[in-house]
Amino acid sequence: MIALVKRAFDAWRGSGPSAVTVPPMDGALRPNQAIEEAPVLLEIAAPDNLVHDGTRLLFSSGSTVYAMKATGTESVAAFDRPVSALALHPGGAMAIGLEGRGLELRGGQHDGKVITELGGRPVLCPTALLFTDENTLLVALGSQQNAPERWKHDLMQRNASGSVWQVDLTNGKATCFADRLAYPYGLLAAGDGGVVVSESWRNQLIRIHPNRKPKVELSDISGYPARLAPTADGAGSWLAVFAPRSQLLEFVLHEPDYCDQMIQEIDPQFWIAPSLSATQSFLEPMQLGGLKQLGILKPWAPTRSYGLVVNLDGAFEPQVSFHSRADGRRHGITSCVEVSGRLLATSKGGNAIVSIPLAAGV
Amino acid sequence: MSASEVYARWRHRLIPDHILGEILSKTWIDNAIPFAFLIIAIAFFAFINPHFFLLSGLGDMARELGEIIFVTLGMVIVMLAGGIDLSVGSTFALSNFITLALFNWQGWPIGLAVLCALLAGAAVGLLNGILVGYLRLRAFLTTLVTLIIIRAIDDTLVIQYSTKVVVPITQSKVWDFISDGDIYGIPIPFIVAIVIAAVGHVLLTRLRPGWHILAVGGSRRSAHNAGIPVRRTVAMTYVMSGILAAAGGVFYASRLGTAGGDTGVGLEVTALTAAVLGGNSLGGGRGSVVKALLGALTVTIINNGLISLGLKSGAGSLALGVVLLIAVAIDVRWLKNRHKVLSKVYVSPAYFKLPPCPSITEGSGSSYALNDKLHDVELIGLGEIDAAEDPILDINDDLFFGSRKGDIIRYFGPDHKRWEVYVHVGGMPLGMAFDRDGNLLCCVAGMGLYKVVKDTRKIVKLTDETNRTWLSIVDDSRMRLPDDLDIAPDGRIFFSEATIRFDSYEWMVDGLEARGNGRIICYDPRDKSTKTVLPKIKFPNGICVAHDGKSIFYASTWGCTIERFWLEGQKKGTTETIIADLPGYPDNINRSSDGNYWVALVGLRTPAFDLALRKPGFRRRMVQRVAQDEWLFPQMNAGTVIKFTESGQVIDCLWDKRGVNHPMLTSCNEHKGYLYLGGIVNNRVGKYKVPGADPNFTNQGSYWGAKP
Repeated sequence: MIALVKRAFDAWRGSGPSAVTVPPMDGALRPNQAIEEAPVLLEIAAPDNLVHDGTRLLFSSGSTVYAMKATGTESVAAFDRPVSALALHPGGAMAIGLEGRGLELRGGQHDGKVITELGGRPVLCPTALLFTDENTLLVALGSQQNAPERWKHDLMQRNASGSVWQVDLTNGKATCFADRLAYPYGLLAAGDGGVVVSESWRNQLIRIHPNRKPKVELSDISGYPARLAPTADGAGSWLAVFAPRSQLLEFVLHEPDYCDQMIQEIDPQFWIAPSLSATQSFLEPMQLGGLKQLGILKPWAPTRSYGLVVNLDGAFEPQVSFHSRADGRRHGITSCVEVSGRLLATSKGGNAIVSIPLAAGV
Repeated sequence: MSASEVYARWRHRLIPDHILGEILSKTWIDNAIPFAFLIIAIAFFAFINPHFFLLSGLGDMARELGEIIFVTLGMVIVMLAGGIDLSVGSTFALSNFITLALFNWQGWPIGLAVLCALLAGAAVGLLNGILVGYLRLRAFLTTLVTLIIIRAIDDTLVIQYSTKVVVPITQSKVWDFISDGDIYGIPIPFIVAIVIAAVGHVLLTRLRPGWHILAVGGSRRSAHNAGIPVRRTVAMTYVMSGILAAAGGVFYASRLGTAGGDTGVGLEVTALTAAVLGGNSLGGGRGSVVKALLGALTVTIINNGLISLGLKSGAGSLALGVVLLIAVAIDVRWLKNRHKVLSKVYVSPAYFKLPPCPSITEGSGSSYALNDKLHDVELIGLGEIDAAEDPILDINDDLFFGSRKGDIIRYFGPDHKRWEVYVHVGGMPLGMAFDRDGNLLCCVAGMGLYKVVKDTRKIVKLTDETNRTWLSIVDDSRMRLPDDLDIAPDGRIFFSEATIRFDSYEWMVDGLEARGNGRIICYDPRDKSTKTVLPKIKFPNGICVAHDGKSIFYASTWGCTIERFWLEGQKKGTTETIIADLPGYPDNINRSSDGNYWVALVGLRTPAFDLALRKPGFRRRMVQRVAQDEWLFPQMNAGTVIKFTESGQVIDCLWDKRGVNHPMLTSCNEHKGYLYLGGIVNNRVGKYKVPGADPNFTNQGSYWGAKP
């Protein structure tokens, strides 16, 4: 009863869980223009999910999987619908998540295997894949209601129907590691047999283990986390953050009436919602601080899109970060990998793969 | 339309929320809480004891009230300068004793006796003043010590002479009149107290010493820096307090004629309670005589009410103590939170549903379809210009516009490379026009309508006031945001005032309200009169007199409409909507050489903002919870220029597709085949060659037939 009253009071006053405060980009997250100023490795439409197994470097763009080689890029596989997740195993296997369809395996022992259901649920929204060994695949399903292209709907509907599965590829047995997650979007193997998952809509990283309770490793991220990748030395990790949080957005998420009507009436491109790409149309919403003064958009202006990659140490504390700010174009970083002293990151909203030189010790 | 939307629409149509914020922004609102206390006290005691407010009782109460008013006034004056005077009770008792001793016992003339009593009070005050003001001792401790010392002196005197002073050896008609007499039933002490209070009010609000007291209390250091003699001012407040407390003592003597050990005991608490309860700030600098009167009245009613209830004597003090505690708590909280409350409730959005937005999609066949005609405009003064709201040209091709710094800038024609500050106006110049004689007329934000005489460059104020709207709470007679103007053939100047609720730097907040806060005003130079022609318009902005001079076009920015107001003919005095569904927010309107009109759209409608306009509660909560920089706003990083005919048909549309050269367009002015583009947050003026335009067209030519 008291909790109910308190919740009603908080909702009326905008305090407690109804507060719209957003953690500032401070400390290790202090803004720079490293992503914006980094050399562009490749310009390609909506690159996503870079993966690296030590020798091969693959990424997806639309419904095609490309391999990046010294001589250029070449198409490795093409599908009839968009690729939404990739994973590689050094043994030669490749797992592909297909939007609204399921999972496919190419190469390795399980070549040609197709998975369309996990534990009786259709694989609608595969967002991240990870081989823990040649026969075991971890799968993150972002949502039960929406395919990956409808991620904005999933956020604005305030869903939490994502799940993480372990699939034994030899017998097809699927085990649910965690359920009712708010859009799990990245997977990272943890040493103890568990897995660290980035939970986008809750802005946090959680550690999931088959025999233990989930544990929050990093909370209150200033944006919506996407894929995770280990650092080259294996001690830490890289976290791609695909969009920023903002007070206005948090506020809108607390206004179900407005939110629902917006979903009904307005084209998602023009929503008050995070975006992968910088403003492209005059019909997109503008915030007061985003008014161009003397012809210049300030880099600290409120924005719905941003480019951010964060380096985390072994305890998932942010150490270093790379940014593309409100006035930049390389937004919507969905994945990154560290390859021979450089960090490659896919700017899905900026249609480019950038290559950020890493200083020694990072 | 959903049920919740129907509710929102009626709820915001029927309940004028904005009035609450306007009332709270008034300075007299500080008196509201003390007044409420008074009403509560009256209601409470009238309810408990119906006989309490009978006339017979009121006379005695008014007599006592007079004394309390005196003491409270003294306390308030000291408090206004940031101090406190606890010695008023002892001074009161001392004055009572001196009056009785000199008049009753020594047989002095009453006038002299009273004068001596007042001087004694002044002496006590001077002692306090020297100690607190000049030696800068703590007011609280110092006056506490004086309280004890004077009380001790008084007690000694009373013990020795109390029987001697009570029996009068002389008679005085004046004294009898003071003690028993009244004028029309109102006791003399009360009348004198009110007269003194009136004098005090004039002193504090109209005279230099009073202003000094308020300044010292408001900020001692600032007062010192401003050259106010702080120490002397503080000392003077204690002297005044001493005299006023003594005056209270004199009337006490007249009323009771006795000197006892309990005279004036606890009076300092009564006075302090009255002062704080009336809303005078303990911190100094904020308070008034009216507040002191309100507080004194309330405390007297409470005191007498408790006595009439027959409570034991301790209970009265207890009740008074509790009231003081509550009053202090409210004083502190109110002072701290008033501005927060005001900032939360002042912005009060209204329900507004715009018609469907026409398409701007490229190749959609819409009149507003996106193109890139403004891609290759010539840029004038890039990087040198700030806030060119409405650039205009004179017949010699010189370009004039305002700047944020309060200047009117002139770029010399025909190449517009060199420039000068034409005049410094002070406020931010917005819309401009040339009159028949070539004088430059200009709307200046926050100031009014001004004229710059042609050759002498003399700045003349034409008007800054209009008639005040009957029953308006905000004083809307002064102009806050005059925006654009135009001149009718008969010389009358029509100009728009965008909003009466916000200042020029908050103009965008008005957009979140979406209420008709603006108006169109007419200045008639023939009799120098100013009057409001059209009230309650949603941010009226650009104004343009039609080519035939019989009507004016004006833009309602937040309403996304162009309206036409008839000055002559059959439709005289009526308004008709020419364009009802613009895809953006219209700004300045100007004539084009082919008999049509140009209007700049300062920003574009976005679906998200259009939806928010239908949800007043959403916008209100956004203003309250979200930081201003994060507020949802119309798309102001893209503008366009459209040309419309007299009947409202859109026949041309100029876009800067990339939004680079002219992210925001507030004005477009045609001159000799070119269109000059201004933007209030931009750092350039654009020059666009209009295909097929009359190369000889000038605005001055079009209006007045002027030729170079």
